[in-house]
Amino acid sequence: MASERELSDFLKSVEKRAFKRAVYAVRDDEAALDIVQDTMIRLAEKYADRPAAELPLLFQRILSNATMDWFRRQKVRQAVVRNFSDFESADHEGEFDLLETLEAMDGSPREESAADGVARAQILQLIEDEVARLPGRQREAFLLRYWEELDVAETALAMGCSEGSVKTHCSRAVHSLAKALKAKGVEP
Amino acid sequence: MKDPLHSPTVGGRPGREAQEARYALRVAARLSAQADALPHELGERLRVARERALERARATVTAQPVGGGTLALGREGLGWGWRLAALAPAVALVAGLLLIQALRDHEQTHLAAEIDAALLADDLPPNAYTDPGFAEFLRAPRR
Repeated sequence: MASERELSDFLKSVEKRAFKRAVYAVRDDEAALDIVQDTMIRLAEKYADRPAAELPLLFQRILSNATMDWFRRQKVRQAVVRNFSDFESADHEGEFDLLETLEAMDGSPREESAADGVARAQILQLIEDEVARLPGRQREAFLLRYWEELDVAETALAMGCSEGSVKTHCSRAVHSLAKALKAKGVEP
Repeated sequence: MKDPLHSPTVGGRPGREAQEARYALRVAARLSAQADALPHELGERLRVARERALERARATVTAQPVGGGTLALGREGLGWGWRLAALAPAVALVAGLLLIQALRDHEQTHLAAEIDAALLADDLPPNAYTDPGFAEFLRAPRR
């Protein structure tokens, strides 16, 4: 069983990356904070008695679920707005698709946390933007595998897919990033 | 566009995978740098969220022994003292029922003894009650 100290240290070690992952997905700082807080509380309430070694995988799984929950709530909210609004076009009706939502949000303004005018900060921001532009599953696989440093099997477990899919998503993500960044003259 | 990860000097899948991994880890390092540079306000809000989660964990751990002891009488891991304490109400109930039964038996015995004593002490012998004529006399309305 993880001690309170272990749980605290673990949450401290992952909270910033978790926040960034949520921001890449939902493109909204407030929503991302809510998702991370929800994830931390779910982990603390339900899995605080698990060994410390199990916490990273559990946390990533809960974070993914919490993010999906957010998109589901958005879908319900949009459906309610659609039902009570005469101004919504028929083009937006139909099945909810996470990727479509993300693509639709690409043009929306984003909060810039990096200091403008600093070259290094600009490069970091460019890299971050390109990661955020990756398709959802590719980004998820890429971040879990290389940022959270889970192995292929753990990433597959966290994403609920096969190891082969993880490898494919990761490979495509890396190639997309490499092309996009090279086109902008950025070398990570 | 030419694939920036493709290198003619590295052939085969392992070399390609290793190149992908190296590139990915460089990107991840940049992302870490960006995450570490989060604005102070966001860092504080994350700290508050973390502390709330830890409070919930503390509350869950505190609540568990009470709930666990109540719900699982026969659970392994509970001490004999707890098991006996859990059985105490049932033992008290059974003892109470036995006591009530004993008191009622005693009362009935006492009542029967009083009736017998009254019969024996009466001027009329008990055999008189077996006499049909006397029984008829008792049933007949008194004038």
